[in-house]
Amino acid sequence: MQRHPEPILHVDMDAFYASVEQRDDPALRGKPVVVGGAGGRGVVAAASYEARRFGVHSAMPMVRARRLCPDLVVVGNRFERYREVSRQVMAILADVTPLVEPLSLDEAFLDVNGAVRLFGDPPTIGTQVRARVREELDLPCSVGVGPTKSIAKLLSARAKPDGLLHWRAEDVRDNLRPLPVKALWGAGPKTVERLESFGYRTVGQLADADLPTLRRVIGQAMGTQLHALARGEDPRRVQPAEAARSISAERTFDEDLDDPEVMRIHVLKLAEKVGRRVRAASTAGRTVTLKVRFASFETVTRSATLPEPTDRTHDLVTVAGALLDGLRLERVRVRLLGVGVSNLGDGDAARQLTLGAELDTPGARDDDGLAALAPRLGDARWERVERVADDLAARFGDVGVSYAALLDDPDDPDEIAPTADDRRAGDTAD
Amino acid sequence: MKLRADRAQFAEAIAWATRTVGTRVTLPALSGVLLEAVDGELICRATDLEVSATVTVPVQIDRPGKVLLPGRLLAQLVARFPDQPVEIDASSDRVEITCGRASFRVRAMSAEDFPTLATPADDAPTGTLKADAFARLVAQVARAASSDEGRPVLTGVHLDASEGTLTAAATDSYRLAVRSLAWEDAIDGSALVPARSLQEAAKAASEVGGTVQVVIEDGQVSFRFEGRVLTTKLIEGSFPNFRALLPDAHETSVVVNRAELVEALQRVSIVAMGQANTPVTLTFEDGQVDLQATNQETGDAAEALRAEVDGPGLSIAFNPTFLLAGLEATGTPSIRIELRDGLKPAVLRPQADEDEVTDDLTYLLMPMRVS
Repeated sequence: MQRHPEPILHVDMDAFYASVEQRDDPALRGKPVVVGGAGGRGVVAAASYEARRFGVHSAMPMVRARRLCPDLVVVGNRFERYREVSRQVMAILADVTPLVEPLSLDEAFLDVNGAVRLFGDPPTIGTQVRARVREELDLPCSVGVGPTKSIAKLLSARAKPDGLLHWRAEDVRDNLRPLPVKALWGAGPKTVERLESFGYRTVGQLADADLPTLRRVIGQAMGTQLHALARGEDPRRVQPAEAARSISAERTFDEDLDDPEVMRIHVLKLAEKVGRRVRAASTAGRTVTLKVRFASFETVTRSATLPEPTDRTHDLVTVAGALLDGLRLERVRVRLLGVGVSNLGDGDAARQLTLGAELDTPGARDDDGLAALAPRLGDARWERVERVADDLAARFGDVGVSYAALLDDPDDPDEIAPTADDRRAGDTAD
Repeated sequence: MKLRADRAQFAEAIAWATRTVGTRVTLPALSGVLLEAVDGELICRATDLEVSATVTVPVQIDRPGKVLLPGRLLAQLVARFPDQPVEIDASSDRVEITCGRASFRVRAMSAEDFPTLATPADDAPTGTLKADAFARLVAQVARAASSDEGRPVLTGVHLDASEGTLTAAATDSYRLAVRSLAWEDAIDGSALVPARSLQEAAKAASEVGGTVQVVIEDGQVSFRFEGRVLTTKLIEGSFPNFRALLPDAHETSVVVNRAELVEALQRVSIVAMGQANTPVTLTFEDGQVDLQATNQETGDAAEALRAEVDGPGLSIAFNPTFLLAGLEATGTPSIRIELRDGLKPAVLRPQADEDEVTDDLTYLLMPMRVS
């Protein structure tokens, strides 16, 4: 069967986090809303279109956003909520075609070539997707329809807010020519800056450029790629979602950390969060990575690979803690900490059980030297504790069981730290 | 030193001594084999300070003396010699080794640097076992030991001598093999012996035959054979109380033909191979056992066997490699599997036919959890 000339859709939710907040809380509708940390180093994660009118945009420091828009409403991150809504969006897309490639929580590519017979031509499918997202989720999104991923992506950006744009394959080259170079998906800010300094400002100029010259300016690979993109050529295919390749969490601190004990507590928190997500995804990973960014912005990562995959917070804590110790951080100021798990496999599928794991009396285990049988990392008993904690978190929202070291932590109640409710639950559980 | 030895005896002696000691050399002198010709015998000694091996072979001595030669080189040479007497002449520091028309000159190492070997005390209590029974016991148990050097206690085989019986146990935390054997001459004591050393002792037992004398001392254990002695340091730390792991009851008991189960398991697990940790699921029902394996990349496989199933039916999944090792260890034509449920350890035992006597072996195997 012949391929449709413009089979690629790029679906992009409009101001996703902010839109979800405005939908969930009608009092926020029509107001300039941003999602992000309110603290001294908070940045805007998403801005509603009302806020954008004031010049507020994502990745902007919160302090600056407030200055631009004094009436700004700042809402804290609810990533679990966004993830949940994202799954609903992706489910609608999956109804159209299995060829869905999510780029992030709020955008995805679709190759609808196989769906044309069933649902109509790609622009019609795009319209249907927008209508379903609007009707079922009460959220706005924009859709680009074109012959390649690059074009579809470029068009969804130009369709915003709440629109749809479609270019026919034969018009692509002419339509591209007047656009600025930065419109191409793949041209990063540094590359654009360099291109402009050599006088390449429009896509048309890039398309006409002498390829060897272009390669000398921005490098072999990038030169070849952008030259093709400028001519409307893009061989990248839509690749359906694979299982996650890594799961990680990181945190930037309002004030740099210098106390190794405090760093350790934050690593524990991050590992707990990562562990919960790993278990929720029914996976397990072998490689644990610790990321440390210093006040100087110098960033180091250290990783360790385990003999077998784990989904236990306790293992993650042990390994990440050892990696932290290995860095011998003394008299340094740390700006960011991150913990990640990669080398993911099908965690729950099949796991070799350990002798003695079913013997419940801890005292007997230790007296009998049976602790020697426990997995080298962690202990099966932790696994049970963690599963119970996960169940509690799933049933009662964020109220859960946590490590004692985290319970009397006076730190701010951000999205990683336990909330006041956590502490109450922990205290009574003690 | 100048002597003449039978090639086969000499080669076997050098091979065993060098292999027993291994290749982890901490001092240059330890890479050597010390040859000492005295009183019509050639004594070959090797050690890495953990394990010491001594082998004695009868030779024709022209001139007594001793020389230290590089172990691996010597082992490689004699393994490839033609079947003719070996002559060694250590008149200079270039030792001449001749076999038929092949001759080599090998630079000797300094014999003074070679350490004194650990040996059992002459008056230490000595237990005796039949060599073939000892070799069999080691083969059944030692494979269950761990190879993870990070868990030293589990890399050993625990020997416990009491009440006229020797009990050997090993576990890698996933399975546990326990075997008891009556002493010919009994001793009391216990030792945590590196599995690799014990396997070399078993190798000597098979090669030499006869009996093996076991000497358990503080911090070391020795195995004495006709013409060979192996002394090894013990692993420090205490072995888990494995008896606490042995289930005292079971719900379902299965008797199945061992060879049939091994063959079916090997066929079914071909599908599982190439992907670590792919389990084989066994479902026991009235009169049969179904084997099944699924591999997302390769496909799946299933096979059914006749079996006597006594008790409620159930499904349980195992690492096929561990299960095969257990089936191999039991040795009898029929075997018995005792089960509680799909997440509790299974017990494999030899099944006696009629009034046949079987080995006192228990192979405890943890299942895999399949979601």
